[in-house]
Amino acid sequence: MSHHPNNRALVSFVLLPFLFLTVVLLGGLRVDAVSRHFIFIAPPLVTLILGVLLVLLLVRGGLIRFQHWISSDLPPLTNAAHIWMFISLFFASAQAFNSVLPERGLFHWMFAFFFLWTLWNNQFSLFDARRLLRSLAILFGTAFILKHLLLASLYSPEGGWLKRVTASLIQGVIEGTLDVPNFAPATGYIAFFTLALYVGGLILLTFTDNDISDIDHRIATKSRQLPRTELPPIAAPLESRSK
Amino acid sequence: MNRMQARIIQLGGLAFSVLYAVFIIWLYATEPRSFKEVTSSAEVAAGTYQINLEKFNSGLDLFRRDQFRAARVEWQLADPIQQDARTQFYIAYSFYREGWGRVYFDQELFKQGLDAVNRSIALSSSGSPTFDDSNLQMHTPAELKAELEQGTEQSWKDINPLKVLRTRK
Repeated sequence: MSHHPNNRALVSFVLLPFLFLTVVLLGGLRVDAVSRHFIFIAPPLVTLILGVLLVLLLVRGGLIRFQHWISSDLPPLTNAAHIWMFISLFFASAQAFNSVLPERGLFHWMFAFFFLWTLWNNQFSLFDARRLLRSLAILFGTAFILKHLLLASLYSPEGGWLKRVTASLIQGVIEGTLDVPNFAPATGYIAFFTLALYVGGLILLTFTDNDISDIDHRIATKSRQLPRTELPPIAAPLESRSK
Repeated sequence: MNRMQARIIQLGGLAFSVLYAVFIIWLYATEPRSFKEVTSSAEVAAGTYQINLEKFNSGLDLFRRDQFRAARVEWQLADPIQQDARTQFYIAYSFYREGWGRVYFDQELFKQGLDAVNRSIALSSSGSPTFDDSNLQMHTPAELKAELEQGTEQSWKDINPLKVLRTRK
């Protein structure tokens, strides 16, 4: 007896929503530097916009195959579970941005602008799921390093190494313009865990979301770029397999 | 059989993740500051929350000896998530008594008192509760709120020299 359907259901309907919802929980969690109290930061509007762009990118990159997730041929419960996972993924994306976006000040808007710029440009690039995953891992990794290592060091009350170096270089910059709140080091660990979960969840998604195999999907993607006259020899085996 | 099991997993997973999402929304709405507050907030939600009576009584003793700041520390420990109407009423009263003066009222303390009495009113499920205490001259949050509001308002009465004859409630 094959356990494939059960395992697939466990990953798709239990593990993945749990992972993405944990990202939603941890993405806005900070720890105050002085009192060590939890601070919950709800996703700002800009992260919701970034979330929409990222989800669009995931659809375009083939990481989410919307037509296989929600269809009139599927049972209503399956459709409901897929819609729910889609919602979880959207909020997880928004919260992943929330965890690497500085909370206020000039850096908040600079980071938001660069994220918007990158995601908007990527909308018009050709991606497959693996390339998209690599690109996202690098995007979040860079933002994490900038916020939780460089900026945290720059604004730590104890005076991190970067603070000492930059203090002598940017003496003319007004402190208020670059207003960044201080958080306990635990915040960085939480953000790292959040991003690892998010990227891990996306990797898992590529392995589970397949009624057709990844190779078939790549063939299908390539076929869309070919002239119509060359389509039948490639499309025929695909159609027969999906039946 | 496998298909049936997969369906059960699907249904269970959906129910579990919806509950988890509700928990996350609740966390962001209540914003607990520590794990202890998470459990206290959960007790409030379940209707089983009780203040630490020992701390509350200790605060009451200090309050009766006019040690208002120390009393507030005890009451904050008794009701860390500020969910008990009576404790918040007493905290507000301590702000009132500490801020009260014959010549002027301490505006900062009165404002904090207003915040606490507003919390007490919001937490009172029965509208305007009465707290019986022979040591107090005001027994309802509404009376205390009115007194605190009058203290924070500026008017011509403030320059009346006879105001030094007024008494603290």
